[in-house]
Amino acid sequence: MKRILIVDDAATVRLYHREILETANYAVEEAMNGIEALEKALQSPFDLYLVDINMPKLDGYGFLRELRGQDLPQAPAIMISTEAQANDEQRAYIAGANIYLIKPVKPDRLLTQVRLLLGDVYR
Amino acid sequence: MPLIKSQTAEPVTEEARKSARDCAGLVAQLADANPTARRWAARDLADCPNAAAVLLDHLKREPEVSVREVILTTLTALGDETAVAGLVDCLRSEDAALRNEAIEAMRQLPDAMAPIMRGLLADQDPDVRIFAVNILESLCHPDVETWLIEVIDCDPHVNVCGTAVDLLGEVGSMQARESLLRLKARFANEPYIRFAADLALERLRDA
Repeated sequence: MKRILIVDDAATVRLYHREILETANYAVEEAMNGIEALEKALQSPFDLYLVDINMPKLDGYGFLRELRGQDLPQAPAIMISTEAQANDEQRAYIAGANIYLIKPVKPDRLLTQVRLLLGDVYR
Repeated sequence: MPLIKSQTAEPVTEEARKSARDCAGLVAQLADANPTARRWAARDLADCPNAAAVLLDHLKREPEVSVREVILTTLTALGDETAVAGLVDCLRSEDAALRNEAIEAMRQLPDAMAPIMRGLLADQDPDVRIFAVNILESLCHPDVETWLIEVIDCDPHVNVCGTAVDLLGEVGSMQARESLLRLKARFANEPYIRFAADLALERLRDA
């Protein structure tokens, strides 16, 4: 079962994304900020990261920059934000995101992107 | 190898001031190359006239996390109109760390924030309104639930309402029930809002 790490400081958002992903048979873990996420990734790398931008301690940009600098298998990352300015999207890609989505993400849209990135289109 | 290269803080213990506490000297020390000197200046400026404006001006270009923390602590202690206006202005910054630090500082200022909270929650920029809801998360003020209910009743932006619902589930009471039901109807095509509102209603019932 492929493993996905949800990184978001909002508990409701984590739970919402968890339910969507678990319904599609992904194993999900959660982190509340970038530092906690980095610790989990270093302990056991994930197949995909679903990352919010605005978080305390270490935000989504910082987390992805640190993750991309580690000697780990470089799994894909989806960055999710409430912000819709063009430069946020550009910054997300520069930090190491593969896809940038605006909250709230509808279940079908999220699963489509996750499956594409994981090569699970026909699951 | 350190995990977080950019956020390592200088040690702050056993520091000694580099010079006496005259206001002009303290302002000059905010530009000192040594973070220790800048920290002392940020602490001691609290007693100087126009301290909030000077500290706010420096805050946005201060690279050292520990100095920024001292600046924010001093601004919080000052808590005057200039300090609060400057902290609010930080919410418009592109620097996510600065925004988060400002939010944390404003949470410590319930009496100063209360008179401007409705204005902040009605800001033109939905991101600022989301950050305003974030301030409410641990603002010890009796009107927090009322403000959150007003947000979910009136705000047109789905993410502002989503953030408010998340918080209402934690700090709200059954007083929010009708507004949560109205919100679900208003955003009937948004699965996240339906999910978050149902979760909040469940939490309020169990509280």
